[in-house]
Amino acid sequence: MKEIIVIDGLSKYYNGFLALDNLSLKVRENEDVALLGPNGAGKSTTLKLLCGLLYPSSGSMYINGVDVVEERERAISEVGTMLETPEFYPFFTPDETLGYLGRLRGMHGRELERRIREVIKLVGLEKWGKVRIEKFSRGMKQRLALAQALLHDPQILILDEPSLGLDPRGMVEFREIIKKAKKKKTILFASHLLTEVAKICNKVAIIDHGKLRFYDDMSRLKKKYRSLERAYLKLTEGEI
Amino acid sequence: MSEFEKLKIVTRYELLKQFRRKRFYGVLAISLLAVVLTIGLYQGLDLPRRMGVPQSTINQHGAELFAIFVTSMGSLAILGAVFFAGDAVASEFERKTGYILFPNPVKRTTLVVGKYLACFIATAAILGVAYLISASALLVFYSQVPIGIFGSLAIALMLACFVISMAFAFSSVLKGGMGATIATLLTYMIIFSIVSSSLAYADFNPWFMPDRAGDAMTATYGIDFREAFGGMMGGGPVMSGMAQASQNPTLSFFVLLGYAVILLGVSIWMTKRREMI
Repeated sequence: MKEIIVIDGLSKYYNGFLALDNLSLKVRENEDVALLGPNGAGKSTTLKLLCGLLYPSSGSMYINGVDVVEERERAISEVGTMLETPEFYPFFTPDETLGYLGRLRGMHGRELERRIREVIKLVGLEKWGKVRIEKFSRGMKQRLALAQALLHDPQILILDEPSLGLDPRGMVEFREIIKKAKKKKTILFASHLLTEVAKICNKVAIIDHGKLRFYDDMSRLKKKYRSLERAYLKLTEGEI
Repeated sequence: MSEFEKLKIVTRYELLKQFRRKRFYGVLAISLLAVVLTIGLYQGLDLPRRMGVPQSTINQHGAELFAIFVTSMGSLAILGAVFFAGDAVASEFERKTGYILFPNPVKRTTLVVGKYLACFIATAAILGVAYLISASALLVFYSQVPIGIFGSLAIALMLACFVISMAFAFSSVLKGGMGATIATLLTYMIIFSIVSSSLAYADFNPWFMPDRAGDAMTATYGIDFREAFGGMMGGGPVMSGMAQASQNPTLSFFVLLGYAVILLGVSIWMTKRREMI
């Protein structure tokens, strides 16, 4: 299978603090990979680097064979992202926000309108399409963030704590959306929620102190450590 | 899709954002109030005569004197530009909206230039309305619109470009939009003023200072400032010299253009380097 995401010897320093230490990782087409690790392990840093929001101190990253540092715009053209706790322009409605982002990705006319209706319905915001985002709760913004990540039907999804702020119903709905999407997409997703990860992903990368501690199939991990939880505790030196 | 197409999209939505904000209407209201008040007080109190402007100047350049007063008030809109531009870049980082905007296949240069154009168009719209009211008042009271008003508008627009560029430069460096807004206002109103005044007192013509170059918006009407205003300004020859230092409009236009381009370049460079930590 084609390697969609290639991370090679990636390191990142923040003012002398080593956040990511020589990380190498390959994600193949249609794989869904969970990045697990305690706070400050380097998960978000990895995802931000992949989206071109940070510059690496050393190492390289490729998406679909395109160097993220050299050709950021081309590299992320087939990527849908949901990073940190997303914020939107409060003066816009979801329809306007998705219209803006869709047009920036070359979508237009009826195709864009149809797709906006589709993703708005998918995330359960049908009644809120024309309401200004300043009135939205955190969970609603999270749903809208997922909608914008899926808007252009990207080949790759990069998600950082995507279910943060969602109520239990929202989490179930989110899981179903991702399960449906993962049949056709490559997913790299960072989370703290081990149960969530176990239900969605079939490959796991555990990171701690900026280093990759484990990267393999969920089945092999369970065979070796008996459960995801045990593996996590053992590989992250009990920090949970 | 070309970057130019993307630039049009960014500008369009950034402009929509500006028009949705209360501050746009606040700046519009204050600018128009300043123009209307100046028109009323100038005419009602017969200001030039009370200020000691020579009768010969009033007879010869009545419309131009009126235009200088009124259009200089309209330029208050330029300070409004600071409020449009101060948070343009910084807020993407401060309010985390950059996590949605930046991971799109669009160059940061395009985003900065699109935001810049939107701020400029919003400011130009307010300036345009202020100048239109001034021109209408000139027609009503003097049955003519001095040609210098177009030069004045050109300088005012270029001053707006400069102020927006300076606000963008601060906005791309500083953490918050409020800090960038305050830094721009303080630099323009206090720092530049101190330097320009000191230079003028020392008998150097501060033609290269942006605030003085901006003053040239009142120097496009073909009036000798020493003759018109020199007598009314206290401080004798020094103040008279400062009045004379109202600049050559063409030179001032290019001074402001130069600063605007350089500062916008700085803003683009800094924004491209800035990380979403």
